[in-house]
Amino acid sequence: MIFGRKHRKPIKIPSKAVEQWKYATCNYCSTGCSIEIGLDKEGSVVTSRGHAGADVNRGKLCIKGILEHELFESAGRGTEPLLRDHFTEPFRPTDWNTVIDHSAARIKSIQEKYGKDSFAVVSTGQLFTEEFYTLGKLVRGCIGTNNYDGNTTLCMASAVSGYKRSFGSDGPPGCFDDFEHTECLIAWGSNLPEQHPVIYWRLKEAMEKRKFPLIVVDPRVTMFAQMADIHLPITPGTDCVLLNAMMNVILTEGLQDQKYIEQHTSGIADLETLVRDYDPGRVQHICGIDEDRIRTVARIFAKAPVAMSIWTMGINQSTHGSDGVVNINNLSLITGNIGKPGGTSLSITGQCNAMGTREWSSCSGLPGYRLLENEQDRTEIAKYWGIDVDFLPQKRGLAQTDIFPAIETGEIKGLWLIATNPLTSMANQPRIRKALQKLDFLIVQDVYKDVETVQFAHAFFPAAVWAEKEGCQTNTERRVNLTRKAVPQYKDSRSDFWMFKEMAKRFENGSLINFPESPEEVFDEMKELSKGADRILDISGMSYDKIEAARGIQWPYRESSESLAGDPRLYQDGKFQTNDKKAKLIPVTFFNNNETPCEDYPFWLNSGRVVEHFHSRTKTGKIGNSNKFSPTPYMEMNPDAANALGFSHQSYVRLVSRRGDAVVMIQLTHRVPRNMVFVPFHFHDCVNRLTLGLLDPHSRQPAFKQCSVSIEAVDQKEAALLNVERRSF
Amino acid sequence: MTAVETKSSSGLSTKSSSGLWEVRTEEQPYAFLSDKDHQETNRYGQLIDLIDLTDQKAPVDRSLHINENPEVGCNPNRNKQHGFYFNADYCIGCHACESACAEKNDTPAHISFRSVGYVEGGSYPDYLRLNISMACNHCDDPVCLKGCPTGAYTKHVEYGAVLQDPDTCFGCGYCTWVCPYNAPQLDPVEGHVSKCNMCVDRLEVGLKPACVSACVGNALDFGIIENTPDNRYQVENQIPGFPDPEITRPNIRFQQVKDLPDEMKRTDSAPVKYHRSGSNENKSGQYQPVVDPKGKTEKGWDLAGLISKENPLVLFTLLTQASIGAFIIAFLGIQTNMMGFGLFADSIYYPLLLLVSFGFVSLGLLMSTMHLGKPFRFYRGFNNLRYSPVSREGLGIALYMGFLGLHLLLTLPGNNDVQQILLNLFGISYANELGLGTFLAFSQGSSNVCGMIAIPAALAGLYYMNRCYRIPARPFWNHWQVATSFFGNSISLGAFVFGFFFVLALGQQGQLNASLLNIVGSLLVTGVVIEILGLFFHRKDMTRSKNEGAVSHYVQTSRFGYTYIARNVSLALSVLLGMFLLTLSILPVPMAILLIAWSCIGLCIIATSLVGRALFYVLVIPTTMPGAFFWKNKGFEEHARETGLANMPQVGVVPLAH
Repeated sequence: MIFGRKHRKPIKIPSKAVEQWKYATCNYCSTGCSIEIGLDKEGSVVTSRGHAGADVNRGKLCIKGILEHELFESAGRGTEPLLRDHFTEPFRPTDWNTVIDHSAARIKSIQEKYGKDSFAVVSTGQLFTEEFYTLGKLVRGCIGTNNYDGNTTLCMASAVSGYKRSFGSDGPPGCFDDFEHTECLIAWGSNLPEQHPVIYWRLKEAMEKRKFPLIVVDPRVTMFAQMADIHLPITPGTDCVLLNAMMNVILTEGLQDQKYIEQHTSGIADLETLVRDYDPGRVQHICGIDEDRIRTVARIFAKAPVAMSIWTMGINQSTHGSDGVVNINNLSLITGNIGKPGGTSLSITGQCNAMGTREWSSCSGLPGYRLLENEQDRTEIAKYWGIDVDFLPQKRGLAQTDIFPAIETGEIKGLWLIATNPLTSMANQPRIRKALQKLDFLIVQDVYKDVETVQFAHAFFPAAVWAEKEGCQTNTERRVNLTRKAVPQYKDSRSDFWMFKEMAKRFENGSLINFPESPEEVFDEMKELSKGADRILDISGMSYDKIEAARGIQWPYRESSESLAGDPRLYQDGKFQTNDKKAKLIPVTFFNNNETPCEDYPFWLNSGRVVEHFHSRTKTGKIGNSNKFSPTPYMEMNPDAANALGFSHQSYVRLVSRRGDAVVMIQLTHRVPRNMVFVPFHFHDCVNRLTLGLLDPHSRQPAFKQCSVSIEAVDQKEAALLNVERRSF
Repeated sequence: MTAVETKSSSGLSTKSSSGLWEVRTEEQPYAFLSDKDHQETNRYGQLIDLIDLTDQKAPVDRSLHINENPEVGCNPNRNKQHGFYFNADYCIGCHACESACAEKNDTPAHISFRSVGYVEGGSYPDYLRLNISMACNHCDDPVCLKGCPTGAYTKHVEYGAVLQDPDTCFGCGYCTWVCPYNAPQLDPVEGHVSKCNMCVDRLEVGLKPACVSACVGNALDFGIIENTPDNRYQVENQIPGFPDPEITRPNIRFQQVKDLPDEMKRTDSAPVKYHRSGSNENKSGQYQPVVDPKGKTEKGWDLAGLISKENPLVLFTLLTQASIGAFIIAFLGIQTNMMGFGLFADSIYYPLLLLVSFGFVSLGLLMSTMHLGKPFRFYRGFNNLRYSPVSREGLGIALYMGFLGLHLLLTLPGNNDVQQILLNLFGISYANELGLGTFLAFSQGSSNVCGMIAIPAALAGLYYMNRCYRIPARPFWNHWQVATSFFGNSISLGAFVFGFFFVLALGQQGQLNASLLNIVGSLLVTGVVIEILGLFFHRKDMTRSKNEGAVSHYVQTSRFGYTYIARNVSLALSVLLGMFLLTLSILPVPMAILLIAWSCIGLCIIATSLVGRALFYVLVIPTTMPGAFFWKNKGFEEHARETGLANMPQVGVVPLAH
């Protein structure tokens, strides 16, 4: 008998002694999980937990969210503003007044010398919506450059563009609740369990209650593909072919929702004509999915009473990104699956507030889904801000991916980077590295001073992070959620909101435009701008207290709304934001401009996310219990291919592309086909030294996931040394 | 639920009064334990009601005193054996369970009470990865509790939780050896072990453990053992990669319905894969661990690889064995009054031999103490004589050392040479002049008694030293070869040490002859033969075994292939040369040649035992769960240490302390 003892041993379990829980919304991905941050008596962060009453996550969090409260005190945080004249010199610490004065002067002098648009601003999807809106005021209203964009061009531009082309407006029409109603779900280039674990859980919960077919389209056998009823291991970059072939089957077999097509769409004739050329038997070898499978999938999708598509970067990050989105929308529209519970076309966004920047930052237009190209929109905003309407450009300037080539050509001389790290995140890094060195003045505004792009900066603005400030984010199902300020700003860092406000004071229009003191007052301004009967992006009924009480409210949520719930779905009435109120069916012709494997570069290079890391790893690379699951770059490689080349598991190799090279460690797995390797994109000096990043013609989003590489042997000791050197965190 | 949180009008939540665990605002049903009833006994026939199991001896409403809080939880099932439930088909390997555990328990990056590893099989795109999330299984037969020499472990009648107290632990790491699931975590920084505490604080308020509550794959669950969770139908005790449940009768149950490829491979560096054989009708057959060379088949020496953190134990075992052997041979030889032994006993070389033996065993014990995470807690090593072979080994050897020391002290006064030296140095001849005959007789007598006691203590120590390695979770060790090796080495090394002093003693007196030398020589050869015998059968059994033992043996013959062969050849040569010398002694061979030859054999035996013992430690492959590519991958850990990646704490690998 092994129980019992005379003298009991103490049981010690760490107790976090929480005195107060502060409400926040996760600052990583677009799922928008509600988090409570636990503070002890001294007001220090001791723990966090998912909010069990929040509809989005219902208490769950992923690894990043669970450990997120550790980032306030993590290594590498920016402690004070820094300045220098040239990037080869050491930085000198300075105060905020000096750094902002100096920066404003440099911006003005560059603009005076080379023109208004010679200074560019590249922002992010990581700030709060109020900050985005304020930045928009600053850039559009005060600085007056038209070369202003967000790094959302790297992740969501294609979805935005596709939505606009099909529905006349951005805005994901569906929501997570659609999982509870759908009868069939296709996931296009989305690896939910790894990229959006909590959305995956919502889907899993729905499937446990009521099983429906799950189809996953992905060239890799991800965990999601493994969980699917049908996995379609597609040839990279050919989603449009598969979609056209599916629509060919649907239209040929008469499985379409004719009534919906007639009432709510335009352009069916052209679409029908085009997809006639995409007979599954003919195109099966292009997309790598056999005709039998194509027919099966087309039929179950079309025959399901309601069916939905979700997608992520597999679609967006391709030369057919916008077309892919349009084509997914086409598929939904011809089967009548828009605006219905369980019938939707839902893009799953990447960054926590990519939606916020799309809605309110003015980077590709004007606040509240307004367009620069629309005179009425321009007038409305100019009037509201109190500036001359001619100050606003009449059409959108360069996208992020065009700004860097414009630096290369010398058209752009100054750049302000806000919470983005192009030296790690942009495709074709050797080109970016060269371009950044050409800048006369580069401001990097970031939470971390060890963010790689800082090496070419002239000014560094240390930013406060997450719950060190207050504001809203919009998640991928249009849910506006709130983060309350829980902790003081780290050292001498400042909120991005404060920095924009201060910068505006240095510009002429800064005195014309009202810059409110608190984010909540900014939110009230946004509410005013969102009013309008046919405006879908209507947040006029919201307030911070209401949002917190509801743990997030979906827009549209009008002033008249009584309950705490916004509309879960857009276009329920079948009326779209186009001139004729009908959704557009746009035929998508496939052409292959990808760099495909060849004799010299025989492998597809695929890239993507791992669950433990976020973006360029500046946050998660510091959090041991996250980082330890992939502390250094690696590559998934097919064992048969490795065997033929004589490479072994857990050894280093050098990947070479037409752009550059990278050293990675091999992980042999049959997850990837014989002619493909997969490298997580989070690591600096890694996959983006190789990527080509051809741009989508509509969205200007780069095709990160389609290019070719060769694999070369490398001295193991030197490679190991290099790997260590390249990992300062 | 006792702990209910309230929400104030300001929107800020305030803390409830319960000191156990605060239930979240609007906590979801998935987080609450939901067992309505339970079975009488588990599949092994053990009662699930733990009060009944202890014949009502344990009190029902006893407080767990979590953090010294006397509050008693409200969980109505708190006296039932609970366990984890893992639906392996659903695990997506998202690390939510691991991070929730790390967050709750404040564990640093290099420690994890719960870990997810995986096995994978098939060929693209017909490929499957099976993630396995594993923590402590709070076993019916907790081998950790039984093995722990300090008694740091308790199996509680509350939930059947096996809890460990890091403040009692002295960091020997023996529990990490015996546990088949890698549940106890030895923290080289803190110098102690800690492990999964079943989140008993959450259980007390009716909540499932943090890891279960965090699971986003709906793979992990928790409840009274043998209960089937909602929406699940299998309650198995095995999945591929999981060690034989018979070792500890773990309280974990599985569902794994999806048909897997016949061969599931590990991504970590362990050269193991899991193979299922059998007909199509019998596909439910178990997966057995088999060798997976991972492309590395070439033979090597890898002498550097022989160096491990168990080096102190290599020296501890060998020194102790040599000490015991030398003492017993000398002492028993003297007792038998065989030719030459009387002479030896009277010489200074006998106390010198005792001193060296004492030195060896003290050095050995020092080594093994310094090997502890917290050496100053060494005295706790005897806390668990009831179950732990480590405690018994320690006691045996400590007693041996004590009585050996006494024997040495009491031998000195009666020793001729000692008396002579004293006489020469100080002119003292106490034996005759001081009339201490009675004292001398007494000391001689008690010296013999101490020697007599030291022998069984030493043998018991040696026996339990051998028992320490008979660990089912370490199949390479779990073989009677450990005994032949330990006793064989004791005889061979002991004979060599003894021979050294014996030859000196007799040589000085000119009494050394071939037949006396042959006594020592034959002991030496016997020791080696015993060792060889064990190694021979060990090799045979490991080759045939269907477990990690076969894998260890594979590593022995590949990575350490040449080292292994060299060791075997030198063992064989030692025996052959020894036999030759034994027969040669019929002929009038000069003593010097014989001595040189025997010395060569002796040195060779020392070298082979060092190499052999080092191999013994580095080769063992535990039955632990498969790791991931970086996390819990021995290969990556070694790489990180070699390259310096391990110097960054967030890599999750701690540099080895030197």
